[in-house]
Amino acid sequence: MLDKRLLSELDGLTIGLVLLLSLIGVVMIFSAAHVQSGAYYLRQLTWIAVSLAALFLVLLVDYKVLLSLSFYAHFLVVVVLAALMAFARLVAGTKSWIAVGGFRAQPSEIAKIALILVLARLFAEHRGAFVRWPRLVLAVALAAAPVMLVVLQPDLGTALTFLPIVLGALILAGLRRRTVIVSLILAATVAAGGWNFVLKDYQKKRLTTLMHPAADTRGAGYQILQSKIAIGSGGLAGKGFLRGSQSQLRFLPARHTDFVLSVVGEEFGFLGIAVLLGLYVLLLARLFLVAGMARDRAGVYIVFMVALLLAFQFFVNVFMIIGLFPVTGIPLPLLSYGGSSLLSTYVAIGLVLNIKMRRFANV
Amino acid sequence: MMRERIYEDLTLILRRARVVLYLCAALCVFLFIYYWKVQILDHGKYWKLAEANRTRVRVLTAPRGLIRDRDGGILADNTVGFRVSLDREVTPDLESSVAAMSRLLELDPEVLKERLAKTGDGATLQPVVVKDNLTLEEVSRLESRRLELPEVVVEAEPKRAYPRHRFAAHILGYLQIMAPEDLQSPLGKRHRPNEMAGKTGIERQYDAVLTGTDGTLYEVVDSFGRSRGEISRREPVQGRDLWLALDSELQQKAEELLGDREGAIVVLDTRTGELLTLASFPTFDPNGFISRFTPQEWVDLASNPTFPLENRAIRGLYSPGSIFKMVMALGGLDAGVVGPGTMFSCAGSTIIYGNPFGCWLASGHGPMNLSDAIKNSCNIYFYQVGRRLGIDQIANYARLAGLGRMTGLDLPGEKDGLVPSTEWKLKTANAPWFPGETISVAIGQGPLLVTPLQIACVTAFVARRGVPVTPRLARDEDPPPAPDRVDLPASVFERVVEGMWRSVNDGGTGRAAAVDGFNICGKTGSTQVISRERAAQLARQGREVKTHSWFSGFAPRDEPRIAVTVLVEYGGGGGALAAVLARDLFELYARKYAR
Repeated sequence: MLDKRLLSELDGLTIGLVLLLSLIGVVMIFSAAHVQSGAYYLRQLTWIAVSLAALFLVLLVDYKVLLSLSFYAHFLVVVVLAALMAFARLVAGTKSWIAVGGFRAQPSEIAKIALILVLARLFAEHRGAFVRWPRLVLAVALAAAPVMLVVLQPDLGTALTFLPIVLGALILAGLRRRTVIVSLILAATVAAGGWNFVLKDYQKKRLTTLMHPAADTRGAGYQILQSKIAIGSGGLAGKGFLRGSQSQLRFLPARHTDFVLSVVGEEFGFLGIAVLLGLYVLLLARLFLVAGMARDRAGVYIVFMVALLLAFQFFVNVFMIIGLFPVTGIPLPLLSYGGSSLLSTYVAIGLVLNIKMRRFANV
Repeated sequence: MMRERIYEDLTLILRRARVVLYLCAALCVFLFIYYWKVQILDHGKYWKLAEANRTRVRVLTAPRGLIRDRDGGILADNTVGFRVSLDREVTPDLESSVAAMSRLLELDPEVLKERLAKTGDGATLQPVVVKDNLTLEEVSRLESRRLELPEVVVEAEPKRAYPRHRFAAHILGYLQIMAPEDLQSPLGKRHRPNEMAGKTGIERQYDAVLTGTDGTLYEVVDSFGRSRGEISRREPVQGRDLWLALDSELQQKAEELLGDREGAIVVLDTRTGELLTLASFPTFDPNGFISRFTPQEWVDLASNPTFPLENRAIRGLYSPGSIFKMVMALGGLDAGVVGPGTMFSCAGSTIIYGNPFGCWLASGHGPMNLSDAIKNSCNIYFYQVGRRLGIDQIANYARLAGLGRMTGLDLPGEKDGLVPSTEWKLKTANAPWFPGETISVAIGQGPLLVTPLQIACVTAFVARRGVPVTPRLARDEDPPPAPDRVDLPASVFERVVEGMWRSVNDGGTGRAAAVDGFNICGKTGSTQVISRERAAQLARQGREVKTHSWFSGFAPRDEPRIAVTVLVEYGGGGGALAAVLARDLFELYARKYAR
């Protein structure tokens, strides 16, 4: 299945960047979590190994095959999510976890991959300049099923990450101005309804504290404030590895997960942040460039949706930890502790590499 | 053309992808700039916030100085007490914290909330002390929940202790948190809110001396408020020790003598004005209520009808009765209304201004001079002296002797008593003075009011032959300037002293006070505390009517060293009780010092 020519097309730079970021993550997770029990950095290393294996597994199969199976995969994932709603026990207030042996996984992460594939499959035949209503409605319906189930878990942060996927597909497919306007009105109606009838109080609070972080120093505003203090007090060169008072004395919340970049900001300063941001920019630019190499429409869609998904998670996280976006519970891809997130990111990048490897029509 | 056939035309969607790429690039530029702003431009601000996060300043309460008696014995000491406070800065949910604490401390949640609310809004982030004097059991109960309740802070602090309990309690006073009205005073500026400060007695008077300088401790804490080490530390400096003139042996004896009677005893060193004894009974044990919170024990004492919290020696107002004859004799001699040889005859009663006035001895004393009159405490003689002097001259001599104003003792709350005059009557009652009232005042009754300490000072004034004395408790604190000798001839004092000597040593009313070889001079007093009609009524019912019992004297006659004043409420005749008690004190003093 993988001959020599395909192997020679393997993108070493991208894999190198992904591994480098993951390992930096392990170091920062160590710094953030060594003060508490549970060797999180070791578990993350295990997950990196598992994820890397998954990435190569994805490379083995031509993405055309994956596309042809996408509808079944998507259906299966929705069924699993529904079953989760019915049978899962509450863990940390949500029903988003499925226990596999000693590890726990979040099926919602895999649902993103399924959605990317199914949307690419849907728009592969779409050649017009603008998308028409039937396909638009179908696309939204395909996305709505997993999103609704994830919202109900309730895991607003993860649900939000489905947005760039759908948006990415629609941007490429093309939306007329009136379609956008009608959609916005619909979205506003749904948003208003959601605010009043669906969102829980703590979720509303997260949104309102963004506007007035100082008003609530012990709740969500406390997290943002502590994170800003950590980043700001880092200065140019930082306080040094394992020497950040905010991180080591546990003022910083969710240090090894959502706020892991704040630890970088505190201990390695602006220079550390700049290097990391540079690495991400390099990775994202690389992904966007691959879009231009894809041999077919479905390939472009997949690469673009993956790139936009990662970019979205990246921007939301870096804006969140510095107080420019609400605390949504979206981790920083590759760096934050969390196996499911890591696995889905590796698989998504695997898809991109798969497309790049098989960019020549005559293979 | 090959490309056209094999590959799809993707230029449109790639163009759209490129637009998104540019948008992302723009976001990245903004990101760099914003992180630059936070990390480089605003670095100082966040650095300070991080430092404030991780450092905590703790006040190390300085122990108060010790209070010692004249031999160095410790009267007020320090032990360790535990207090628990709530740090509202790290309190996630006040309701649940209050619920947990009220359960662990067995305190009513309402009481707890009230204590939290009382601290005002100025220091909302300061930990609030919610209970002190914890038992060890309470401390361990709280400490075992250290992790669940990081906002609950248990700290050890120096705690005042009075090792001899009720002993000299009125002199020492006790501590309480400051009343709101004290906050603006120098006392309030010296103490932090909710800290214990001197409330009464020596603790209050010398609070500035006894209060030490609190230390500070800067320490690193984590987000749970747990200490992770010290940064710097300034040790607290204990307050200065205070040495009192108090002689514990005499004080102890005086308190024993009073037993369970209500009264006061003052022993004064006539040479220096130092107070060797200042006893008041009933008394109290301040150890039970050294707390920030009004303890039930204190409330009970404050509402007790016998007023155990009152220092009767300096705040009790009594008629001096026959004790006042010392002053009357001085005045009569100085004004020349009587001479040493002036005789009056006592027939047991007399009629003055148309009203009958009796002597305490119904059968009468017969003819007597001034010396005899003092010795026998004859009322008839002093009625005549009073009638001749008139109220305003009496008032002048009373003030000259030190009555009607505070003695200047270094204790707070002293009362100044009352010396009546025509002016006073006009001002307070808007009525003229009736000459008949003068006759009552002449034997120390009527509106005239004195404290036992004032009487001790009058006695010292006579003993010093006209040099007033300012009583002092603290030995080494700067004393006030010694008062000047008053303008009375020495011979006047010798006549009065002679009468007082004969009262004790020549079979007079004070004879029960006599101690062999210790030339005591004294004067007794028995004051009616109820009206004559009421007394007669009670006597008819067969109930015993007792007067307040006074004795005041000094010794030795020449070169006097101490003055002793005894007052026993409802003690009966001065010669029968007060003089007996005084004798024991003179004897103890003579044994300890004079020989």
